[in-house]
Amino acid sequence: MYLALFIFFAVLCVAGALNLLLQRHPINSALSLIVVMTSLAVLYLLLGAQFLAAVQVIVYSGAIMVLFTFVIMLLNAGREEHTRGSRAAFLVGFPGAAVLLALLVQIFLSARGHLAQARLGEYVTATHTLSSVLFRDLLLPFEVTSVLILIAILGAVALARKEP
Amino acid sequence: MTAAGYPGVSYLRLLLMTLPQIAIAATAFLALTVDLATLRKASLRTRWRVGTLIACAGCAGAILLLFLYPQYGSFGDGMLIANPLTRVVQTALLVLAAFTALLSFDAVFTSHIGEYLAVILFATTGMMFLVASQNFLLIFISLELLSLSLYILAAFNKSSRQSAEGALKYFLFGGMSAAFLLFGISLLYGLTGSINLVEINRAIQGRPLTPMLAVALVMTVTGFGFKVAAVPFHLWAPDAYQGAPTPSGAFIASSSKVASFFVFAQVMLVGLAAGQGSGAWHNSKAGWAPVIVAVAALSMILGNLAAIVQTSVRRLLAYSAVGHAGYMLLGILAQSAWGVRALIYYVITYALAAIGAFGVLAALEAGDNVGVDEIPDLAGLSRRAPVLSFCMLIFFLSLAGIPPLAGFFGKFYLFSAALAGENSGPLWLVVLAIAMSAISLYYYLRVVKQIYVGEPAAAAPPMKISRTVTATLCVIALLVVVLGCAPNLLVGWIGSAMHLP
Repeated sequence: MYLALFIFFAVLCVAGALNLLLQRHPINSALSLIVVMTSLAVLYLLLGAQFLAAVQVIVYSGAIMVLFTFVIMLLNAGREEHTRGSRAAFLVGFPGAAVLLALLVQIFLSARGHLAQARLGEYVTATHTLSSVLFRDLLLPFEVTSVLILIAILGAVALARKEP
Repeated sequence: MTAAGYPGVSYLRLLLMTLPQIAIAATAFLALTVDLATLRKASLRTRWRVGTLIACAGCAGAILLLFLYPQYGSFGDGMLIANPLTRVVQTALLVLAAFTALLSFDAVFTSHIGEYLAVILFATTGMMFLVASQNFLLIFISLELLSLSLYILAAFNKSSRQSAEGALKYFLFGGMSAAFLLFGISLLYGLTGSINLVEINRAIQGRPLTPMLAVALVMTVTGFGFKVAAVPFHLWAPDAYQGAPTPSGAFIASSSKVASFFVFAQVMLVGLAAGQGSGAWHNSKAGWAPVIVAVAALSMILGNLAAIVQTSVRRLLAYSAVGHAGYMLLGILAQSAWGVRALIYYVITYALAAIGAFGVLAALEAGDNVGVDEIPDLAGLSRRAPVLSFCMLIFFLSLAGIPPLAGFFGKFYLFSAALAGENSGPLWLVVLAIAMSAISLYYYLRVVKQIYVGEPAAAAPPMKISRTVTATLCVIALLVVVLGCAPNLLVGWIGSAMHLP
């Protein structure tokens, strides 16, 4: 049952990601991204990270995608145009990526025994456990992340502001 | 991750250990607030003066904290490590940040002075966390904090297309390499069940170099190789160095190099040293050695050869930085405490010379002066700005490795560390490095020759350079000379921090 769910959403996720790359119109790409994000949320849920799943849906599929679509609408972005350079990148990039993918798949399949196992199932992570990880064990990375976000905001404002 | 790790966390201890970082972050806020709240109507010059003063005071305060209240020890799963060695590197980072702030003085590329200085200080905060962590989670977050700040700094000149282009390239390559690094870290976590470097090392001890481990190694090297601009991950460097506002370029070329190389060495030597190579059992060479050898050799050859044909001083410095990254990888390859000592000495002295060279270029475009980018434009600079020219001479000769300047002893220690010990790197690599340093002499001297021998354009008046910048450059040049004449000052300090005899 869990395996079936996993396979279904994993395939959906990969298909969404491929569709995102292949679509010519930005709005279609954005919509495919929602599919990817939401399927990822289901995968998190299967691994017992329900908080992460909820955040994934609310923040990524919700808030960030709304922003994306707004920006696309406001910029009135049209279809992607193909130039000679992009075609060359296409011709070289796809075989290159395929070779890399084949290599990685081969290595992953051959080294299955070395990797730690993850189990799918109905886990519930108590909020208490989550908070003790976030605010005790990982307190320092949590705080440094706040500086990271601050610098992103500062940079966005400084760079996007109109010069007088 | 150890979810049930340590039972009680002393928040007070965490506060005390991170006090220098907190001081720098607070200084960043102060610089931002003072500039935005009280100096809106003031002239650009006043704003630079106040901002630079705040930034330097903050850096000095953090250095004082490091020395008066050293809080040695480690906090939680290798998350934060404080020892004499991290203190040396953190001090160097703070000094370089203060130099960057001083060299930006009177720059005209932006009117957002508060934001500019705040980004430099936040980047310094990130680097101080970066060098003080042996946990991949914090390493990654602080590396991103640093990278994000550098992208912003590279794009800060909004009136220049080149700045935007360089920053965009830097950003795209950087995002890509961060993804590779994250992939590598997640594979290592999958293989070892830990993100603590010491634990990872213990888990891969004695294990053969499986394909999976090899992939993880290559991905990790890719991620850090980008940060240190080693071939083939160097493509961003020339454009970013050329396009970025000159003081930002100084910061990218100096401070970030010091932090990136230190953390690169830390990850390779603390975290991944035990991964066996494909050699025989008694051969304790780490599995990543061939990768680093390839990257180092390529960086030396391509960096130095490409630098010969450059006509832009900034691009020349960028390619020479690629070459220097190749030399510095020898220090990691040595896999010994001597190698690390040589690497830290080299990277600090290199950073001083690089920040100085960029500082001279920054001074040439500050105030009312017209900037210089092409080498022929430097012709006859010695007659228009004798002090600056002399500083530039010292920096370039140090970069080329002429005794008795610091660059010579850096190379000397590095190459001898690479040859000494049982884990010595291949001899041909050291020979290649020496040959390439000889080549590098040619293109450095080409610039120096233009400055001293070239004929200036007919109506070229003496330049007006702000006294602060001149004084800063003289101090940096003095440091390069002193550390070269008495290398033991710094080497001995690093050695005693590492408890070397």
